[in-house]
Parts: sequence; structure tokens; C-alpha cells
Amino acid sequence: MTKPKPTRVVYTAFRMGMLHWMADPQWVIPNIIAPFVFTMVALTLFRDSSGPFGLYAVLGGGMMGMWGNTIYSSGYSIDFDRWQGTLEEVLAAPSKLLHVIAGRCIANALFGLINMVAVFVIATTIFNISLGVANPLVFTLALALTLFSMSTLGLIFASGFVLSRSTQALTNGLETPLYIISGSMFPVALLPFWVHPLAYVLGPTWGVDAIRLATSSEYASQTFWTGLSPNLAIALDLAVMIGVTIIYVGAAAVLFKLVEKRVRTLGTLVQA
Amino acid sequence: MRQIRTFLSSAVFSFKAQFSWLNPSMWLTMKFVLSLSQMAFFVFVGLFIRGPSVIPFIAIGNALQTVSWNTVFSVIQITSHDKWDGTLPALLATPASRLPLFVGRAMLHVFDGMISVVVSFAFATLLFGVDFGKANFLALAVAVIVTALTMTGFGLLVGGFAFRFRNPLVFANIFTYILLLFCGINFPVQDLPAALQPVAYVFPLTYGVDAARNAIAGTDLLGILPTIGLQLAVGAAAMMLGYFFFQRFENMARKSGKLETA
Repeated sequence: MTKPKPTRVVYTAFRMGMLHWMADPQWVIPNIIAPFVFTMVALTLFRDSSGPFGLYAVLGGGMMGMWGNTIYSSGYSIDFDRWQGTLEEVLAAPSKLLHVIAGRCIANALFGLINMVAVFVIATTIFNISLGVANPLVFTLALALTLFSMSTLGLIFASGFVLSRSTQALTNGLETPLYIISGSMFPVALLPFWVHPLAYVLGPTWGVDAIRLATSSEYASQTFWTGLSPNLAIALDLAVMIGVTIIYVGAAAVLFKLVEKRVRTLGTLVQA
Repeated sequence: MRQIRTFLSSAVFSFKAQFSWLNPSMWLTMKFVLSLSQMAFFVFVGLFIRGPSVIPFIAIGNALQTVSWNTVFSVIQITSHDKWDGTLPALLATPASRLPLFVGRAMLHVFDGMISVVVSFAFATLLFGVDFGKANFLALAVAVIVTALTMTGFGLLVGGFAFRFRNPLVFANIFTYILLLFCGINFPVQDLPAALQPVAYVFPLTYGVDAARNAIAGTDLLGILPTIGLQLAVGAAAMMLGYFFFQRFENMARKSGKLETA
């Protein structure tokens, strides 16, 4: 049997993911409610403060929406198949599970952007925060790359979720710690020093740094690359994120191979 | 006697049933990881924006809010799972009295919720340095117990309302998180826009957080009694309204034949 082209599988899974969301859009609420409420709390705390806090709250909130959707959906895409009895078919198909989940993860991260739009609208209309994006082109590039980086991280989580029936516990347990560790809404420097290495291996930590820099020069003093020009700092952020993302893709490919082999050998796909 | 038996069996079965989706690892995750990570997130946000003085306020608020995972989220989930697992027709076909059946299903979550708060208080003091030195522990215990009880009433209200809808899980998520915004958890209720402030007093948690903060600051039981009284009234009203919804929607579902898909 000829194997289908990976791009076709990724696209089809992406399309199916989008269609699932559109068919039952209420599911977007459980996925983005936490980051949305967290952002509203931060914006209220920020109200009487000065400085780049609004930048942190709004961009951080948007990032958290993508995070939340990626983590939840990478877990639920496996669980959903398990509940519906389609996981066996997906695994038995000649296409690789990695490519199927990759398409779904991209669709899910993209849906997380809904939260970013909602946060932008509310920050502007209710909290009167005006966020003029200084460099729209770089902002868009950084956002797209961050979205992709999150999707690949979602792949790594998903490979573990194939092995476990406790995906809900894992996704619930991972969501807020990831918001904290990646410094979505405050500088990583505030965290205990032993958390910093964990922050540096997360691609989105660098992505959000680049996005903030592309949005406002106010942030230049708080970037990881203080002292360098904003453009160079953004380039370095993106370079590190791309490097980390490539490692994620490689790790996900290896993990999926191992996991697929294990569940096929032990026959524990559904009750794993 | 039969009503007490219905109440007790409803309490035990509903609590046990949640372990079909909430396995022990997830129960522990909700108990320890969720409560700590949510508290830590807001403590760091508060620290960044307003400085260290807000840490006790935020840590105590979030410790109390953890009760809603058990008393709101889990209680609404009972309705979800009755629909998903196909147990709803069997449940409603029984001649059992509806009030003990309805109230009983949430009762063990009261105790579970109290354990969550105690765990969170331990995090607040050990990791974020919240000082319990002046606390009036009797008043604090009463505040926690009443908060768990009344928030269960609120969970039953939303669960009763969500009975009408196909997917109560959406309501579980909305009403668990929205409390963070309205109940004075991370900032005083007065910081909300004036038009939204009255909404805060619809939630029993608002009173509970206020009473617990006062108890930790040293106020005795008599001092927090007026707040607790209001909280009990709001919680009881929520429970009765929830029961009304439950009965009404049961009748509607019987007539329309849309018990699980409504």
C-alpha cells in the first residue's frame, strides 16, 4: 500500500479539525475560558498601574489562549478518538499518526487565536488600552512561528497522551504551570531561579519575547536580550525558538514511533 | 427514613460515579497541582503589577476559590455524565423523592471541597508566606465549611439549569472560572466596574472569601456572623432555585422526549 503524502495528511487532519470546531463551536469555551478569565483578572489588576503591564496582560492573554487550546486539544484529540472508537482506525490507516495529530494541533492552536482577538477587543473597548503594533510584519511572523512552535510542543504532549487514559489529568495539570513557566504574563525573572531552565526550553517563552518586542519599544528594557537593538533581539528570539522547535519535531517523530510500536505490540491502545 | 436513604445513596453514588472520569491521578492533580498552580500564577501576576503587599490577599482568595472545583465543576459534571453515560433515564424513572436525590448528589463534594481549601492554605503559608499567626481558627473553619456548603448550592443551581442543555460541561467551565473575576479573589470587589459589582453578591463565594480573610486577620466568629448569615441565605436560595430548574426541566424533558439530547 502506498503511503499518502505527509502534507496531504496534515492538511486533511487540519481541515477535519477545523470542521469539528465549526460543527460544535461550544467546545471552544472550555478551551479558552481559563486564559480569557486570567487575562481579565490581570487587566483589572493593571488598571491603576503604569508601565508596560498592559502589554504583558494583552499579549500574554492571547498567548495563553493559544497555549490552552494547544494543550487541551492535543490531549482531547486522542481522547475524543478513544471515546468515539475511531482511534484504532486512525492508527491502522497507512498515514502516520504523527501527521494526523500535527494537522489537528495546528488547527487547534489557530482556534486559540480567537481568544487573542477577544482579549484585544475587550482591552481596547473596556480597559482603554491602545496597543499599536510597532512592527506589524515582524509581529505576524513571530506570532505564526510561535503558533507553529506550540503546535509541535502539542505533538510531544499528544505522543504521551496516546499511552495514557489520564489525558484529562495531564492537560489540566499542565495548563497553568505552562502559563507560569513561559512567562506569559510576567517576566520569567520573577520566577525562582530553578524554573528558568524549564522556561528556556519552551519555544513560546522566546516567541512571546519577540512578539512583545515587535509590539512596543517600551518592552526593550525587559527582554532576554537587554542592551541589544530590538531587531537583533527579535532575530535571536526567533532563532532560538526555531532551533527549539526543530528539536520538538525530531523528538515528536521518535516518540510517536516508539509509542505506536508499543501500543501495537501490547495491544493496549484503547485501554492504555 | 426512605428520604434519608435516598439522600445518602445519592451522595455516595454521585461521588463514586465521578471517578469514571476523574481517576485518582486526576483527583490528586486537581487537589494539588491545580490549586498550587492557579495560586502561583495570580501571585506572580500580582507581584509583578502591584508588588509583594498583595500576595496574602491573592493567596487566600485563590485558596478559597479551589472549593469551586469540587462544589461547582464536579457537581455540574454529574449532570453531564448522567447524560453521556445514559444513566439519566434510569435515574428519573425511579420513584425516589427528587429533593433528597438532587441535594444528596452534591453532599460528599462539600467535604472534598474543604480538603482542597486546607491543602491550598498549606501552600499559601509554606510557599507564599501567608501569616496565620493572628487567625481565629474557629471562625476560619466555620467560614470554610459554610463556603463549601453554599457553593455546593450554587453548583446545584448551575447543574439544575444546565440540565436543560446538551452539554453542561460548558457551564461547568464558565461558572468555575468566572468566580475568579467576580468574587474578590484577586482584587477587591470594589475594583470591578460599578455596574458589575452587584453581580459579585450573587455568588456565595464572595461572602466566604471576605469572611475567611477577616478570620485570618483575627476577627472572631461573632464578627463574621453577619457575612456568614448572608452567605447561607444566598446559598440556600441558589439550591432551591436549582431544584426548581431540575424539576421543571425534568417535566419538560419528559414531555418532549428529549431527556439526553435537549
